[in-house]
Amino acid sequence: MKLLFFGQTAEIVGTREIEISLDFPVAAETVFSDVLDKYPRLKANKLLFAINEEYANGAELVSDSDELAIFTAVSGG
Amino acid sequence: MNETKMTEQQSADFFELTFSPLDVGEISRRVVPDVCGAIVTLDGFVRRWTKGKETLFLEYEAYQPMALKEMEKLILAAKEKFQIANVGIVHRLGRMDIGETSVVISVAAPHRRAAFEACEWLIVELKRTVPIWKKEHYVGGEVWIQGESTT
Repeated sequence: MKLLFFGQTAEIVGTREIEISLDFPVAAETVFSDVLDKYPRLKANKLLFAINEEYANGAELVSDSDELAIFTAVSGG
Repeated sequence: MNETKMTEQQSADFFELTFSPLDVGEISRRVVPDVCGAIVTLDGFVRRWTKGKETLFLEYEAYQPMALKEMEKLILAAKEKFQIANVGIVHRLGRMDIGETSVVISVAAPHRRAAFEACEWLIVELKRTVPIWKKEHYVGGEVWIQGESTT
């Protein structure tokens, strides 16, 4: 599964994209919390999560073909 | 207002991301429906001074496919909520210097009041929901700006 980072989260993780292998399907929050544990500096931020380009709350089941993203509260405009 | 013509104009809405400078006048006037009498256009540009801190330049990046989806959702929601005919949103990405336009929102409506209200609503919602981020390079440092609210 692809996990994307942008802006602040990409800087913290040091890359824009990582590949994750797990026993799918799995709750998205499992993936997200694993990543937060691996990169604890992420936790200092206001984070948002997305699955397949839609905002997600973590309860969704995800599989290998899904694209997840973790990013900070948006600041466009 | 002529509901049939309003419907016909829906396909003229536009939402774009670009790394090129924005031509505000062109975006504002790109769609001028016959049923309309006013276009309200927001020209958002890079501010030099924020609470006494001097910005040198900004860098914007986006989760592009999701940002486009969210922009489209905003336009559909605005057209449900306000008596407006057409909306265009263009956000620039990449590096922008002081005074350069980062975002243009253009709302055409039969009457101006709805266009003003919709334009304000659209920029508030864009800053809350569209996955775009700005990094501020200021005198003495740089920081990714994080939004006030979450979705």
